[in-house]
Amino acid sequence: MKKTIFITTALLLASSTAFAGKMVMPSDAPASYEAECASCHMAYPPALLSQQSWKNVMSGLPKHFGTDASVDPKTQAEITSWLVKNAATRQKYSETAPENRISKTSWFIRKHDEIKPDVWKRAGIKSAANCGACHIDAAKGNFSENNIKIPAK
Amino acid sequence: MLLKFITASLLLMTALFVSAATPSDLLKSYEAGSGKASPARGEQFFNAKHGKEWSCASCHENPPNHDTKHIVTGKVIKPLAPSANPARFTDEAKADKWFKRNCNDVLGRECTAQEKADVLSWLMTVK
Repeated sequence: MKKTIFITTALLLASSTAFAGKMVMPSDAPASYEAECASCHMAYPPALLSQQSWKNVMSGLPKHFGTDASVDPKTQAEITSWLVKNAATRQKYSETAPENRISKTSWFIRKHDEIKPDVWKRAGIKSAANCGACHIDAAKGNFSENNIKIPAK
Repeated sequence: MLLKFITASLLLMTALFVSAATPSDLLKSYEAGSGKASPARGEQFFNAKHGKEWSCASCHENPPNHDTKHIVTGKVIKPLAPSANPARFTDEAKADKWFKRNCNDVLGRECTAQEKADVLSWLMTVK
């Protein structure tokens, strides 16, 4: 009995870790998402933010983290509805992000709490927005802890 | 039936030709709203800060003839000079969209037709 519980727990843990590592990009992303958003930063999988957070981000594009990222109304509606449809659903990820930043969510901070401030500042990283600097397959939605390479500089 | 197909094909080809612009077309269009372009003034404008934190070169570097990185996010930006990236300045709506965004970031306002003409005329000389 004890053994069964142990195995079940282990399996549950393993599967939840695997889930946390995967934020697959839905295959139906509109072309405008790549063109309008991913010109300046990686195309973040929508599951990294909650519905409310995406609505907040998309309603403030003319002042988007210090830059003008404005898009025409039709494109704005198209991208917003796709982001909201594919937003985070699990409670763990569904908080409204402070300042609308993925990097300010409690799960992001907890996941990165062992990274020292000077590491973030390395030229090869520059910013918490640059997921792919360390998560080498971030563009494919793979954020697994087994798939990380932190730049030395 | 065949005639319909030919007509449709011709219409499609016309549409394709109409939408494809060249950097020279865009330059003419900007010059029409200002005076003659000055590549020297364009280069100076490109490299200077205009009262805010960034210049055009902060992200595109000088000369902008190679892949560069966004100053904040580190995302790779393809070369801006048409000689290094033939897709640049071939779509007026796209060029205008980026001028609007990036001029707001660098100058805190939209660029004038003269400023766009100057910068584009200089970019067209970058090897």
